[in-house]
Amino acid sequence: MFVPLVISDRLMHDTISTSIPLQSVLNATTKQAEEINSLTNWFFIAAAFIMLVVLTFTVYVIMRFNADKRRNKEKKELSRKWEIPMIGIPSAMIIVFLVYSIITMGHVLPDNDNSPPDLIVIAHQWWWEARYPDYKVVTANEIHLPAQRNLKIQLQSADVIHDWWVPSFGNKMDMIPGRLNYIHINVKKPGVYYGTCSEFCGRQHAQMRLIIVAEKNEDYLQWLSQQQRDVVMESATLPGAALFIREGCGSCHTIKGTPANGDRAPELTHLASRKTLLTGLVPNDSGELAGFIKAPHFIKPGINMPDFRLPDSTVRKLAGYLSCLK
Amino acid sequence: MQNKLMMKLAIGSEAIFFLAFILGYLHFWDQGNFQLQASTQLSASKSALYTGLLILSSVTFIVAEKTFNERKYNRSLWWMLCTILLGVIFLGGQGIEYYELIQHNISLSTGVFGTAFFALTGFHGLHVIIGLIIMIYLCWLIKYDYPGKQNSTIISTAGIYWHFVDIVWICVFTTIYLLPFLI
Amino acid sequence: MYLFTALFFFILGGGAALLMRTQLAVANNRLLSPEVYNQIFTMHGTTMVFFVMMPALLGISVYIIPLMIGANDMAFPRLNAFSLWITLLGGLLLYFSFAAGGAPDAGWFNYAPLNQFYYSFTKGIDYYAMGLLLGGIGSVSTAINLIVTILTMRIKGMHLTQLPLFAWMGLVNSFLIIGAFPALNAALCMLLLDRQLHAHFFNNSGGSALLWQHLFWMFGHPEVYILILPAFGVYSEVFQVFSGKRIYGYGFVAGSTVAIALLSFGVWVHHMFATGLGNTVNTFFAASSMLIGIPTGIKIFNWIGTMYGGSIRFTVPMMFAIAFLIEFTIGGLSGIGFSIVPIDWELTDSYFVVAHLHYVFIGGSLFGLFAALFYWFPRMSGRMLDEKLGKWFFWIFVTGFNMTFFIQHFLGLMGMPRRVYTYPDIPGYTILNFISTAGAFLMAAAVLLLLYNIYISIKKGTPAGTDPWDAFTLEWYPPSTHPGKNFDELPEVHSRQPLLDLKKASVNQ
Repeated sequence: MFVPLVISDRLMHDTISTSIPLQSVLNATTKQAEEINSLTNWFFIAAAFIMLVVLTFTVYVIMRFNADKRRNKEKKELSRKWEIPMIGIPSAMIIVFLVYSIITMGHVLPDNDNSPPDLIVIAHQWWWEARYPDYKVVTANEIHLPAQRNLKIQLQSADVIHDWWVPSFGNKMDMIPGRLNYIHINVKKPGVYYGTCSEFCGRQHAQMRLIIVAEKNEDYLQWLSQQQRDVVMESATLPGAALFIREGCGSCHTIKGTPANGDRAPELTHLASRKTLLTGLVPNDSGELAGFIKAPHFIKPGINMPDFRLPDSTVRKLAGYLSCLK
Repeated sequence: MQNKLMMKLAIGSEAIFFLAFILGYLHFWDQGNFQLQASTQLSASKSALYTGLLILSSVTFIVAEKTFNERKYNRSLWWMLCTILLGVIFLGGQGIEYYELIQHNISLSTGVFGTAFFALTGFHGLHVIIGLIIMIYLCWLIKYDYPGKQNSTIISTAGIYWHFVDIVWICVFTTIYLLPFLI
Repeated sequence: MYLFTALFFFILGGGAALLMRTQLAVANNRLLSPEVYNQIFTMHGTTMVFFVMMPALLGISVYIIPLMIGANDMAFPRLNAFSLWITLLGGLLLYFSFAAGGAPDAGWFNYAPLNQFYYSFTKGIDYYAMGLLLGGIGSVSTAINLIVTILTMRIKGMHLTQLPLFAWMGLVNSFLIIGAFPALNAALCMLLLDRQLHAHFFNNSGGSALLWQHLFWMFGHPEVYILILPAFGVYSEVFQVFSGKRIYGYGFVAGSTVAIALLSFGVWVHHMFATGLGNTVNTFFAASSMLIGIPTGIKIFNWIGTMYGGSIRFTVPMMFAIAFLIEFTIGGLSGIGFSIVPIDWELTDSYFVVAHLHYVFIGGSLFGLFAALFYWFPRMSGRMLDEKLGKWFFWIFVTGFNMTFFIQHFLGLMGMPRRVYTYPDIPGYTILNFISTAGAFLMAAAVLLLLYNIYISIKKGTPAGTDPWDAFTLEWYPPSTHPGKNFDELPEVHSRQPLLDLKKASVNQ
């Protein structure tokens, strides 16, 4: 009964209802970002200096040599000696910045040494798959990480080129099909950090948000052990699980512990443990979930999930079932 | 003089076009296992024969050009026809090779080796066909009289194009047929 | 005709930009669906680069350069006509895609494998490939034509070292076009083979997504220099004439142009710093990209040095040239920022890049086009463009331009990615985007004013005479009275300022 209410409600006001705080590149939340930002700050100072020089010279020249003032005066020639500092100073600055950037590059993204990654993120059109190889955990969209540890993340793509970018984490890295790329991060403090896909990947590139939950080690391990558990089939959820399979959902989605084992869509085993749905676009509650199952293309038009045109009662039961998957 | 400069600039541009395809071919060398594919699926010796004929066609073209400038128009026409014939035989040889490869399930769409091979040799073949069409037109120009015929630079200009097609083939041949045995 | 073609596409491309900015004026806007927006931003970029700036700059070049070197026409007049028509045809073919199932929607850079049939199944990308191939043939033909004209048809006495700088830039630029376009043509042919004949160049079964990027940027980077060099040529002429002085350091300006052209073939990977090619590769291309900033800086300095000691007249072309100095320095500095690899890692693919590219394209190339328009309009039409309307146009446009794009530097730093049809309601995003949109509408209003100015000046503008600006070079020498011929007779050339010499000689007599 709540489903039709939810849907008409949503049609009337802003559908994207999660709120994201400002994620600035200048707000370094990882050790890597800190290092890059000191380079960036020096660069802005150097650039401001050059801008000031050009601006000053230009304004001076156009004011001093205005035709109205120079009516009968002879033309002057600027001495050619000025070419030397004008080439020399930028050249020197460039050498300094080149060396500084080589050093920073080496610290932030060392060349691959074939050590095993802590996390593998596989980008899809238009969601994120996260695999924790040491713990055999597979989840989607909400990525938990331990804070204050050096992490190596392996980045892959299942279809087109995507890009992992969390602005306050510093650097970004492309995810290219057929290629393995790596990024290293060490998040300074626990918290929730937001990012976005940063390489045009099709219709929903704009709404493919990254949600990173950095946690203290104990919390992280606790989250992992919860994610490792298969779904326990109780009599209460059995009809929901059966409905899930019958409607075909299991051919794309996986719910471990049930026959649903598709791998083309986000993993749903612990869907209810996530704070948001649809790569961070709406909060995770059964109303939103029902609204999405009823009209998948309303919030994220063009995604790969078909509109199954399910009757309201089926939608309600599915949403209820999925809301129990903690 | 202007025509020749124009043609040199045009073939400069085309040279980079072919360079892009050659670089594309080499880009896939490791991942497409081209060393094995090229050395087993292709016959370097047969292709060398046709390569020789194409080089010969450049020689016949030069003779045609020389006799044209000496105003020996009938001789010139004969040498130009030889050039065309050699070009056609080259294309024929290429065609037989394509047919055999397709029989062995290697084509533009079967995999990366087929893609790179057929694209590179195919674009070269296209340039050969264009050259042959130009030469048929040249035959017409050699045979019939028209004002300005004696000082015409068209044959030399077309010659630059045909020699270019030849040189490109030598590069393509080396890359595709010889490289597996050289490294 | 080139200019009218460019104007037509400018209106289309600019209209696309206005639609984009309207959609982005507020967060979570539902004005345009992602499918539509993605086609529009793709067409905006493709149109502006290939069918506005290229035809406009080449069109001015084929008009003015023969005049400057004392030739009666281009070396191959029919090839010149062919180039125009095939460019127009390419543009029309590209736009036909809207009627044929959908315009291309994978971005003007059209990365693989998104550009493959599997992921983009409307015919838009096929039209993109064919339209650009045709346009590319037009550009390369014009370049060949320009080189042959400049090398073989100069008036007696005009050695290559005495070429007016606009002609010199045209010469170097033409070599760039001949070298760069084939890489794009090859990539487009490979793409068509992939999409139509199921080849494996860029797809996910054996193909390489990075191969497309390498080929595209091997073209793409020289292309941006192709778009700026003619503008540099215009500025070189304008600074001289409106300061009443010869260029400061002709040798440095000419030589640095050659340096830029050569270096431009060795920097393309700076568009790919975030693709994980490894730090050795990144370092090499970082060094070359930083290096290429130096010859450009030399030019800026030389133009300021030209104004120094002169007698500056603030006509509309000069105002655009002076504004260019500031805007292009901003754009150039943000560009150098990107050559610092870790900064690129933070800011590439964000609105910071959008800011950078518009500062150099608009503040550099488009301002050069505007300066050229106001400067050479009297030579092309016999009338002056209205100076007062021109100044209004200048101030409104420059205000709108800085409003729109300066703000985008901040949006990039605040984490807004590019190529997005909407954005979340993050604090600050909406207000900044809104201001950016307002600036775009100001620019549109300014352009309407410009169009009105052109219309009214053609109809009843002040008649110009042959040398309205008191200039130095031969395009201002009295033209022939016979149609189809540029000059009846010409003076002897002994220096880089033949017209100035002539005027001084007649004053002395």
